[in-house]
Amino acid sequence: MSARRWVGQPVPQTDIDAKLAGATRYIADLTVPRMLHAVIVRSPISHGVIRHVDTSRARQVPGVHAVLSAADLPDRRFGPYGEDWEVLASGKVRYRGDEVAAVAAESVAAAREAAALVTLDLDELPAVLDAHHATEPDAAQIWEHRPGNVANAFEIARGDLDAGWAQADLVLEDTFTTNRIYHAYLEPVGVMAEHHDNGSFTLTVPTHIPYKARLTYARALGVRPQQIRIVVPPVGGSFGAKYEMLEPLVAAVLARASRRPVRLVYDREEDASIARPRPPFWFRHRIGLRDDGRFVARETRVIGTAGARLFWSPSVLATAIHRVDSLYHFHAMAGSGHLAYTNEPPTTAMRGFGNAESLFGVEQLIDEAAERLDLDPVEIRRRNIVREGETTLHGWHISSSQLPACLDRVAELSGVRERRGAGEGAGERGTTGLRRGVGLAVAHHVSGYRPILADYDGSAAIIRAGGDGRVTLFVGEPDIGQGQATVFAQIVAEGLGCRPEDVALHGVDSALSPDAVGTLASRATTLAGNAVEAAAADARAKLDRFLEADQGEPIDAGPDGFAEELRRYAVGHCGLPLLGEGVHRPPTQMPNAEKYGNPSSAYPFAAHVAEVEVDTATGQVRVVGYWAVHDSGTIINPSTARGQVLGAIAQGLGWALMEDVTLDAGAVTNPNFLDYRIPGAGDLPDGVVVEFVEGEEPNGPHGAKSLAEAAINPVTAAIANAIHDATGVRCRDLPMAPERLWGLLQQAPAPRDREEVTV
Amino acid sequence: MTAPIRVNGRPEHVDDVAPLTPLADVLRDRLGLTGTKLGCRAGDCGSCTVLVDDVPKTSCLVPAGQAAGHDVTTIEGLVGQPEHAALLAALRRHNASQCGFCTPGIVVALAALLRDAGPDGPTRDDVRAGLAGNLCRCTGYESIVDAVLEAAGEAA
Repeated sequence: MSARRWVGQPVPQTDIDAKLAGATRYIADLTVPRMLHAVIVRSPISHGVIRHVDTSRARQVPGVHAVLSAADLPDRRFGPYGEDWEVLASGKVRYRGDEVAAVAAESVAAAREAAALVTLDLDELPAVLDAHHATEPDAAQIWEHRPGNVANAFEIARGDLDAGWAQADLVLEDTFTTNRIYHAYLEPVGVMAEHHDNGSFTLTVPTHIPYKARLTYARALGVRPQQIRIVVPPVGGSFGAKYEMLEPLVAAVLARASRRPVRLVYDREEDASIARPRPPFWFRHRIGLRDDGRFVARETRVIGTAGARLFWSPSVLATAIHRVDSLYHFHAMAGSGHLAYTNEPPTTAMRGFGNAESLFGVEQLIDEAAERLDLDPVEIRRRNIVREGETTLHGWHISSSQLPACLDRVAELSGVRERRGAGEGAGERGTTGLRRGVGLAVAHHVSGYRPILADYDGSAAIIRAGGDGRVTLFVGEPDIGQGQATVFAQIVAEGLGCRPEDVALHGVDSALSPDAVGTLASRATTLAGNAVEAAAADARAKLDRFLEADQGEPIDAGPDGFAEELRRYAVGHCGLPLLGEGVHRPPTQMPNAEKYGNPSSAYPFAAHVAEVEVDTATGQVRVVGYWAVHDSGTIINPSTARGQVLGAIAQGLGWALMEDVTLDAGAVTNPNFLDYRIPGAGDLPDGVVVEFVEGEEPNGPHGAKSLAEAAINPVTAAIANAIHDATGVRCRDLPMAPERLWGLLQQAPAPRDREEVTV
Repeated sequence: MTAPIRVNGRPEHVDDVAPLTPLADVLRDRLGLTGTKLGCRAGDCGSCTVLVDDVPKTSCLVPAGQAAGHDVTTIEGLVGQPEHAALLAALRRHNASQCGFCTPGIVVALAALLRDAGPDGPTRDDVRAGLAGNLCRCTGYESIVDAVLEAAGEAA
């Protein structure tokens, strides 16, 4: 590999000047002539039969152009996973917040006034407000096509489990719960819809999976996918929430009915009330080990909450059940679980995607096993982690791994081996005082996931380099604020011979951009990055051929001469811009009927250590130190990569200690930033250490693989293990908020508080 | 409202606006200054921070009538002022923004923080305290703190 000029450099983000200057225009900043404002009328009850929706008074409010309920729409059910989405609820309402009617008016105020005049005649039904109760015989039925309220189920088994348990010298089993987390992006959800005279729509939507969303929306609107143009504006944060949303459809039917463009922008309370949070999970994890610390078997049972409709929770469930088998060799496993429908806000994907949830428990059990077997936490992991070149239990091929080096490095930086169990801080365990402890956790993730889209798993890119020297890149994977535009610009610059700042990533537009699987499953840098690299090489080869023919010799004038090269190319082609196309077909496999097969191009790894200070009088935990060492292959931009890790640690810390979407009778009780606190600058430790152990991932562009989800996956477990080290208390439920930890500290001063199962 | 609001040095006559209209809405909807973002409309997130007579305020909570006769500086006005060039350059070098939605409000708050810091400049704790009114979900704040200290060091 020749020396790289731009890949590996901490270049400023190509779009940062606009962001710093407030010039980036998000959906709420966009207006079009004749635009109307939409407001949704929501169900005030958790479960009920819709007798009648009276919109007559609402229609008379001045400035109102459309008021719709399900009675005005064709009876259509659709959705990403089941037939359980409707544009507006028909027949029944299924959660407090279910969309029942919608208004479009000249102003938000008029739309609100009209919405308040829509009267709902509802017959209340008993509500299901607990995933465990949902599947009991006496629970109310939420969907007729899913008797028993089982929305989705997943089961997998591999290896000889009986033989595995028979070899076990130590078996540890416990229950862990993870909670609803609000993505808490700073930009509330917003969309715009335009309906055109030929029956087509333009939907401006901050989605990360425009291609798949378009298929869903076409079914919903009863049009062909080609009749929907999706334009992705700058996205003010998502973290999984804005994959595929219902809101564009509400705006679309209002635009069709009013024959006017319609914008729908939530305020924070509405956004956080429907929330669509991370699904809460109940885990029963069981692992078996020999006394040398080697794992021999595991079983996991998972129950999750889908809420009233399925968004992306099914994939999250599957991940929570079986992804950990590609971090450790358990040799034999069985995992099963289901998602229950409840009369609560639907849940969906969030960064970490079930893997983070699973690891919260597994990494604590492993820590406990290390303590029982008198092994250090680094060593027990080293004995069991998957290694580079190995194929795991479910056929996942680990093409690169620097996890062993990450473990060594994080241990060296943090001193976790020496400091664990040192009992730092004042006072004895069980007495009042400040106690310090350190905790280790490791994690992995994927770089793309073959099952997302049946059609293909790869990616495509188009480069347009005009005679004016401007390079525009088209890919179908939207930048959602994670710095992808810059990573792609660096890859283009490397291959094409320009500078990163010469390259603009065009916002995804289904009329211009390639179709694509989208930005999810940590796939964009790896898969789209490869396509971008190929497109740059294609464009450069064309340019070189032209210059050689034109000048009689190959010329590469470098970045300073690049604009002149492009000008000559355009002149020589009567104005045609230089075009490069790139296609990347990854070596992944669609898992077979037994769920066996390698679904991802590459697997990133991380080893984290947290240091906490616990106030045993109050249960308050402060994270006072944090060390994160990552293997994401080649780091394309060390500055933005560091930013991804720091941001993930902040989100993980908020999840571990502060955040919880709370419900009362199906209604979110903390739908604002005062009551739902996310970490502020003062809640985070200063001087977080982030390092990368760079290997070369053979399947990634310039040897790179994914990062930003792997970075949140170990955080809650590292903090939990540190709390245990400080206090002797195991906190198996999230969040580890002061009241919960204080309660545990009161009842369990002894370091061993649970039954040991020895076989 | 009789007196104009001076926005980025220019008197803006918005006499027809109801006095209780949030200043943020006047800036965004009437004056087209959409760099002031609305993240919560409750003063919790700081995305709409502007300077009113040089003091950072969440403009979603400032009634337009109360701003009449006062100087309002938005991100659009602030980025053109030479005294903030070092801050902007440092934020750029540190890639101290990701999705960017909270960024304009943070830049406004930091500009005031640096201006008010003593001759030794702010400490890391000062910067974190100065960001207490601004939420960011992407960055974890560390790159922002690094950038501010670097900018302060250059000014010293």
